[in-house]
Amino acid sequence: MTDRRRNILVLLFVAVLVAASGVVIATKPTKLGLDLQGGVQLIYQVSPTKGESLTEDSIQRTIDVMQDRINQYGVGEAEIQRSGQDQIDVSLPSIDNPEEARQRVGTTAQLVFYDWEPNVVGPNGETNAADPNITGGASAGERTNPVAISQFDAVMRGSKLKPITNNGPGQMPPVAGTQYYLVDTKAKKVLTNGPQESLESITGDKRLAKYFDAAGKPIPPAKIVEVPEGYRVIQAADSNNQAGEVIPAGDKWFLIRDRPSLRGNDIKDPAQSFSSGGLRKEPSVVFSFTSEGKKRWQDTTKAIAKRGADNCLFQQGEPRAQRIQRCSNHFAIVLDQQLISSPLIDFERNPDGISGSTGSEISGSFTLKSAQALADLLKSGSLPLKLTIISQQQVSASLGQEALDQGLLAGIIGFGVVAIFLVAFYRVLGVIAVLGLGVYTVFFMAIVKLIPIVLTLPGIAGLILTIAVAADANVVIFERVKDELQNGRSVPRAIKDGYRKGLTAIIDGNVITFLVAFILFLVATAGVKGFAFNLGIGVIVSMFTAVLMTRAILGLLSRSPIITHPAALGARKRNPIWHRFDFVGASRWFFAASGVILALGAIAIGGKGLNFGIDFESGTQIKANAKAGTTVEDVRNALKTVGEGDAKIQQVKLSGASDKSGRVTFQISTEALSTAKEQEVGRSLAVVGVSQADLNSNTVGPTFGQTVARMAIIAILASFALIAFVIWFRFGLQFTVPILIAVIHDLLITAGIYAATGAEVTASTVAALLTIIGYSLYDTIIVFDRIRENLKRLPSAAISQIVNRSMSEVLGRSLVTSFSTGLPVLALLLFGGDTLKDFALAMLIGTISGAYSSVFIASPVLTAAMERAPKFRARRKRLMEAHGGHLPAYPEGNTAKEVEPDGPRKSGRRVTSPEGPDQAVSKQEFQEMVSELGIETSAASTVTAPREPSAAKPAKKPEPQPDPDAPVSRADDLSPEEVESRYEKPSGGKKKSSRRHGRPR
Amino acid sequence: MAILTWVLISLAIWHFTVFFPDHFLGGINGAFLASAVGGVLGGFLLSGLEFPTRHDTTVATVALGIPGTLIALALLYFVGKRREEAQQA
Repeated sequence: MTDRRRNILVLLFVAVLVAASGVVIATKPTKLGLDLQGGVQLIYQVSPTKGESLTEDSIQRTIDVMQDRINQYGVGEAEIQRSGQDQIDVSLPSIDNPEEARQRVGTTAQLVFYDWEPNVVGPNGETNAADPNITGGASAGERTNPVAISQFDAVMRGSKLKPITNNGPGQMPPVAGTQYYLVDTKAKKVLTNGPQESLESITGDKRLAKYFDAAGKPIPPAKIVEVPEGYRVIQAADSNNQAGEVIPAGDKWFLIRDRPSLRGNDIKDPAQSFSSGGLRKEPSVVFSFTSEGKKRWQDTTKAIAKRGADNCLFQQGEPRAQRIQRCSNHFAIVLDQQLISSPLIDFERNPDGISGSTGSEISGSFTLKSAQALADLLKSGSLPLKLTIISQQQVSASLGQEALDQGLLAGIIGFGVVAIFLVAFYRVLGVIAVLGLGVYTVFFMAIVKLIPIVLTLPGIAGLILTIAVAADANVVIFERVKDELQNGRSVPRAIKDGYRKGLTAIIDGNVITFLVAFILFLVATAGVKGFAFNLGIGVIVSMFTAVLMTRAILGLLSRSPIITHPAALGARKRNPIWHRFDFVGASRWFFAASGVILALGAIAIGGKGLNFGIDFESGTQIKANAKAGTTVEDVRNALKTVGEGDAKIQQVKLSGASDKSGRVTFQISTEALSTAKEQEVGRSLAVVGVSQADLNSNTVGPTFGQTVARMAIIAILASFALIAFVIWFRFGLQFTVPILIAVIHDLLITAGIYAATGAEVTASTVAALLTIIGYSLYDTIIVFDRIRENLKRLPSAAISQIVNRSMSEVLGRSLVTSFSTGLPVLALLLFGGDTLKDFALAMLIGTISGAYSSVFIASPVLTAAMERAPKFRARRKRLMEAHGGHLPAYPEGNTAKEVEPDGPRKSGRRVTSPEGPDQAVSKQEFQEMVSELGIETSAASTVTAPREPSAAKPAKKPEPQPDPDAPVSRADDLSPEEVESRYEKPSGGKKKSSRRHGRPR
Repeated sequence: MAILTWVLISLAIWHFTVFFPDHFLGGINGAFLASAVGGVLGGFLLSGLEFPTRHDTTVATVALGIPGTLIALALLYFVGKRREEAQQA
């Protein structure tokens, strides 16, 4: 297949894909992440429960139950996925109440029915169903029960008891194991949030760290106490007032024997209903029993009724209702750690218990919503594993929209500036590159919709960065094309060689970026995963558009008049300002400058430290839009009302709609708040004009912070190891060490600048740092690729001369790639909003540092390391002797003699040796000569063997420098048609000597 | 954090080794490794055999990485030089 035909086919294929992508983009919706559309994200850590260990199966069953609850919750587009070994990530778009979301999705919902009176534990650990001083009598599980005690007292009462692991024959086993609490014996307070199932849950909780000494022992008056198996500490039921409002139970608790009568799996078909008795129809939950449940229900209620009757002393004249209230025993319904209700069993009406055939009803202090929620929870069943919320984020719909607008604006501006730069710098080549970028963007958007990829803000950052990757690929190739043009190649040949020679560096660079993205995707948290995924996909797609497609376009245009003049390709006269600059000689001063920067960075880190964000530190960050004129003091005063007056409050400047509205945005940072407390804080801000729906909050618990920190370390180390392996594989050990030193240099300089500027280090920063590694390597690979090439090309030159020459040749390219990367990154920094700024700042520092280190750190280190090799040491000695003890910075005289860098020829035969005595050269040899001369042939063209093989003679003398401003002469690289005419009808025009070896100096 | 500052200061010092003749054992790469290891080890020793926590890291902590780096580099230089002389002899 001819080149032309292949190029047409490639472009046809691209056209079909573009059309298909257009259809996908037009018809498929874009799935937006929570940060762009608003909603609630909850990240849970799962831990084993009694009788349920942490396995793949139990985690999956937990996820299934949660999914079922989400479906019943009626949240469209909700996502639930496992994250890491023991975390579950729940995204609920369009929800603005995290507390409700948490209760609906993450409540364990362990429903247990107890026979109340025989299980209430009295002051000395005794139980006595007939003693109202122990049971509390008629008020049973209500908050008004006189025997209800504080949580601390209940826990301490339980801690004095012996465990009971077996409830006796025919009885159900206890539902809870040993329960651990951290208490303050002086303040008589329980410090843990409910019972913990292991000691590690307490000692490993960062929020409780202040209660422990260095050896991990609780500092008095803090103390760890255990409530043994067989007992439970449960909170009294909430109640309703006359107006139907819920009155929370408060610090009213009971210690009960853990002897369940029925469990949640004994009931079925729960549904929200209205209570059948009483004047007012209260919301309730009705359900029916399983066959096993029916029997247990009947037996239990019969026992309760019998006990009521047995213990009741009839009083003359007492009304029935009063007697029933006084004598009847109760049935307690406990959900997780709290009583829902404790209805009495009317022993006169139900002496044989209540049949389970018609089901039953739970009525308590329900609102319509809470009754519905409980019915939904019971429907999906209890969670097999314990869920602990470790991070929660709430994004308001308006701020989500604003973030989307900012991300898109940054993307459009990033694309625009790169396009302008490419066109201004590469003219026609630039236009083709921009076309490639446009096609790339269309493909990418189609992939995003087709898979579908949930588009998040970090994902948009990934997309913008891949635009830079795609532009970089074109820059690498175009600079190569310009090199070839300036070396006197024809335009078609320059294009062909430019792509061929530039491709290896692009593949190396993209492979590394892809691997970094892959590692990041494997270990990162959800937000950063989106970035990594888009970066990885983008790298692959950009290879197709930036290399294959632009090559096909240029291949077709290569003989067109619009690109025959070098100026049309941006190929200007060489000799940039760094021409023949002694990079290696000057490197010690650049080294010194780097040393000073690193020392300053060390002092900054030592003095100020790194400003770690809540991703690492844990805590709550609330962003709220207050009415115009609100001050920090106003916000603080509002927060004081809920005990958060010590919060760190900053007024932040927003761009876009928020800024224009005149409203003032504040960022409030506190220790990690519970969802309920967070809501309380949100409500307190109403006085400064903050509405709940406009609240943006992010809470990261200590566990999640540790996960993020661990992820960051693993990702950096794994990326480093993988990159080292790839570089070693591609370049060898000698080149690998300087590259790694340069990367370390870039990372440390970035860390130093972050410390000096006080910029916040977030999970996004880590992602950006990893991307820096990729970008830094891209630059270094380009430089080293040329050094490796020149090592072969200049076999007599000293290593410092080779490095100087290589850097002089590629510095422009390195600067241009850094600039083309820097432009979209700068757009992200300026227009991308707060989240994208995290990426952009680290990326910008890394890009600049990467370009610098590849030239002024990696290359001199390579020079110093290689000069120790005996071969180069001898060469240097010889050259210095030849130049009177001085080594020229660049190869001179015989040292500058070049050899073909493409290695040994395929055939060991001399090209000029004829096959027969009557032939000057064979047809095959002539083809090889044509190929060597860079002359393209087509299948249709016929090549006539020349009478004289003189055209194939290698050029011994350097060629004169071609005038880059003149139209490219095709004398060097003739078309097949010209080849024929050249030998059949010698041209009288100017004929340049063809070269087999070397390049014009 | 202390380790990070020691690595930073030791590598800052390493950058100035280019002003010395290359007699370091293992050359510039050897010096790189030695300075980093020396800095961290020296810092650890001078901190009383412990790594200061993030909150205990100060500018003075940074300085603790300097002696170890200098000693490691000096050792590497003299060992390298002696070895070169031995080879030449």
